[in-house]
Amino acid sequence: MQLWLVLVYKIPREPAAGRVYVWRKLKRLGALLLHDAVWLLPDTPWTREQFQWLAVEIRELAGEALVWESRMVLPGQDEALVQQFVADVDQAYQAILAALQQADADLAALARQYQQAQAHDYFQSSLGQQVRAALLAARGGDEL
Amino acid sequence: MKWVTWEDVAVDRMACAWLIRRFIDPAAEFLFVPAGQSSLPADAEPFDIPGVRLSHQRGHCTYHTMLRAFELTDPTLQRIARMVDEADVVQEVALEPVAPGLDLICRGLRQISPDDHVALERGALIYDALYAQLNHPSSAL
Repeated sequence: MQLWLVLVYKIPREPAAGRVYVWRKLKRLGALLLHDAVWLLPDTPWTREQFQWLAVEIRELAGEALVWESRMVLPGQDEALVQQFVADVDQAYQAILAALQQADADLAALARQYQQAQAHDYFQSSLGQQVRAALLAARGGDEL
Repeated sequence: MKWVTWEDVAVDRMACAWLIRRFIDPAAEFLFVPAGQSSLPADAEPFDIPGVRLSHQRGHCTYHTMLRAFELTDPTLQRIARMVDEADVVQEVALEPVAPGLDLICRGLRQISPDDHVALERGALIYDALYAQLNHPSSAL
């Protein structure tokens, strides 16, 4: 049974910097925005702590934040959410694979992109392994 | 003096405890409460607990907050703050390749330690090593 963390928050419209800060932080955590209303992450000790800190930061920015753990009730919902997480991270992986096809691919930059994508890969997408193998092969291609 | 934080220490709490022992309060005594608990012992200074004075501030880790609070300006300590920031708090710009490794090692250290006290002692060795190497003449700051 998958446990999820849900974050709902409200923050003053002005100053915009605070709103943007929170939004970007959520994107960097790889959280999923559902119905423009709630933010979702799989529950791990790490994500739990990240949401706790963020909730404090939102309050410091004069906002309100609620975080709770949750379980889906209807069959198939977990799978659908996991698929959304995987689809998000697969998009990043596909972009790296496409860039690797270019003759002058910047391997150092792509490796960094891979690391960033991997940080959001909460459900170990199989594409991640492919990207990893492709990066290693691209690096070692002319040596082996 | 007594200091209290949440149990199950990792990269930031290990760094904070190391900083406290080495640079703030050599006789520090550490107490732990379960994560999420908001009632804290009255006679201890809390750190790295959401909402307390010595915790994450402006997107930075607690270690970073402590450097500011105790006015520690040693550039090596500042460099370590950047590393802990990148290990513990999601950052847009990553400049310290050691950060993800530091995070993993500290989490693993807690796993192989019987309790948080032992984990802090072992974590201190990691930060002693980091501090010594960053201070070494061969290390460009």
